[in-house]
Amino acid sequence: MSVVNYGTREITCKIVYYGPGRSGKTTNLQHVYSKLPEERKGKMVSLATETDRTLFFDFLPLDLGTISGFATRFQLYTVPGQVYYAATRKLVLQGVDGVVFVADSQSRQMAENIESLQDLHANLAEEGHDPRSIPLVMQYNKRDLPKSEISTIEDLDETLNFRGVPHFSATAVSGGGVFETLRRISTLVLSRLSAPAGKA
Amino acid sequence: MAEPTRKQNEEEGGEFAEFLADVSEEIAMRVESLQTPSQSAAPVKKTPVGADGGVIVEWPTIADRMIEEMR
Repeated sequence: MSVVNYGTREITCKIVYYGPGRSGKTTNLQHVYSKLPEERKGKMVSLATETDRTLFFDFLPLDLGTISGFATRFQLYTVPGQVYYAATRKLVLQGVDGVVFVADSQSRQMAENIESLQDLHANLAEEGHDPRSIPLVMQYNKRDLPKSEISTIEDLDETLNFRGVPHFSATAVSGGGVFETLRRISTLVLSRLSAPAGKA
Repeated sequence: MAEPTRKQNEEEGGEFAEFLADVSEEIAMRVESLQTPSQSAAPVKKTPVGADGGVIVEWPTIADRMIEEMR
């Protein structure tokens, strides 16, 4: 995806929330949506099953208005976490500018986190992205659960964050850490605008 | 009842406002490098016209000019 269009003076950033099923990706977007001022609220598109599992993907357009002469839009997507929706995840990753990996902090979910992270790297590589250089932020979600049930931040970081990218603790269900994560991935994506690859 | 609602609205706008401020700052920092290279390039060529006005006399260059302007 072209991040910046000089002709129309538009900046468009596509950010994808990736992670295993039930890690809290949709909850992140729902919190962002709930905090948008009324005048900026577009329509969050969400397609879920009867049990609230994301069936296809969630899409939240964020129109930020004109910034320094550029009409700026962010597009936030989630992928369905379940293993059998591999094709959808590849589709959503097309043209991605930055990724938030939402990990489930529960100790028993560590294997799912690892599998999803491997899936992300494989799909990024397939899309022609270098998984080692694409803007990435880790979010360790569900930190509000009892300590006996969750891995420590150090364990999560050691197991999942081998790139040493910024990481955030979150309790997306109550909004904790959601905007911090979004702010960081956004600035990481924007910081690449001046790179040659960012030219439209 | 009105006061908590107003406070709540301010808090709700706060997270988004901080996000917007970060994004704006980052774009402002980059804005100079976002200028199109062609904006500071060679002066724009004028359309070649004849002395009698309005008649294009250098047809072979017109296609090049059109392509250039479409960039």
